[in-house]
Amino acid sequence: MHWNKGRSPLRLAGAILCLGIAFPWAAAGQSPTPSVTPPGAEASSHAPEFFVMIDPAHGGDDKGATLGAKLLEKDFTLALARELKKELQARGIPAHLLRDTDVSLSLERRAEITNETHAGLYVVLHAGAPGTGIRLYASALTPATASVGRFLPWESAQAASVERSRALLRSMAPALRKKGFSVAVLPSPLRPLNNVTGPAIAAEVATATGAQPLQHRAKLREALASAIAEGIAQARGQQGGRL
Amino acid sequence: MIPRHFQITTALLLLAILFSGLYMIHLRQREEAASLQSLQAAPSVPVLEGKQERIRVLVAYDEDQALRWRDAEVFMPVERSSRARAALRAALSQYLQSPSPHPLGKGADIRNVYLINNDTMVVDTTSQFADAHPPGILLEEFTIASLIETLTANVSGVTKVKFLVNGQERETLAGHVDLMSFYQTAAVHELAKEFE
Repeated sequence: MHWNKGRSPLRLAGAILCLGIAFPWAAAGQSPTPSVTPPGAEASSHAPEFFVMIDPAHGGDDKGATLGAKLLEKDFTLALARELKKELQARGIPAHLLRDTDVSLSLERRAEITNETHAGLYVVLHAGAPGTGIRLYASALTPATASVGRFLPWESAQAASVERSRALLRSMAPALRKKGFSVAVLPSPLRPLNNVTGPAIAAEVATATGAQPLQHRAKLREALASAIAEGIAQARGQQGGRL
Repeated sequence: MIPRHFQITTALLLLAILFSGLYMIHLRQREEAASLQSLQAAPSVPVLEGKQERIRVLVAYDEDQALRWRDAEVFMPVERSSRARAALRAALSQYLQSPSPHPLGKGADIRNVYLINNDTMVVDTTSQFADAHPPGILLEEFTIASLIETLTANVSGVTKVKFLVNGQERETLAGHVDLMSFYQTAAVHELAKEFE
């Protein structure tokens, strides 16, 4: 076989290797992923330690539910997320916010950032009707029975971790009840829980919790954040530090 | 004095105009008769085969945070996708009345239901169904569970259900619950049991 000038097998192999190093996504047959640094968060893309990724749901154009005369779900979740971050850090658990300002972030992007930063736990905060107390959710996916490989289907990425997510909720619920909140633990097809590869849960604060409108209840917000943080800390302790 | 040849030409032109007009009237009448004939020959809209039935509808009660089975008298067609549409509309009608146990936006309706591979149903809803849906994880979950459970209780053999909004895919119902995936009816049945 004759090779054209400058196209020896060695040079061809070298070129492919360089391409693979320069564009690993091309070599893997995937599209390039955008930057992984979450806006307003100090998470690094190679975080070696366990940390909780707190996602204040909604933001920007997505206002979420209207909780009172002047309170939007997106603002309440952000305030609660900031409290939760403080409470977790006070218990020695590192935490980052997925958004720390009033910005729009797609649901897919939220899952991407969580997966790319290898968060040890994803907690998305919501608020809405009906009822009182806190509702805790894990994905409604059927747990993966066979061992999963390195690549997970996007729509069911949570299947490999859903048992751990549910176990976490079961451990968290008593801690929240101990703080005086009524708690329901439920499965849910909530986005983007199914797209997160690690343990992922959602907490929805019911709008009728307490006697006053939510915006006048800084103390209630602190109590909620403290209860959720305590629940996470206790669950982590029960599971030997791994979630 | 008008020349003779000019008189003849004018007369001929007038005659031509007259005959053209008559011919056009004739053509129009023929066209009308033909279209009337084709209308009479066209197949009429088939009458849906079916009968009045007492069906089971899973109704969401927001105040109680519960789902409960109720009976409804509905005309149920025999054909499966039409039957599914009738059952789903019976569930929605529970929510559109006043007072409603689970209020939905005015105009929330089922546009069509498509049956794929004998076991998958794609439910196409109106824009108002999603646009005016109250946001909230539990509220949206109730709607999805109520509709899918009602569908599977009244149409056999459905294992997967997907929702469209005005013929298009939508990421979530009202900002929370997934509308992109195909729902496994067995998984929804387990989920609904949590609230019954």
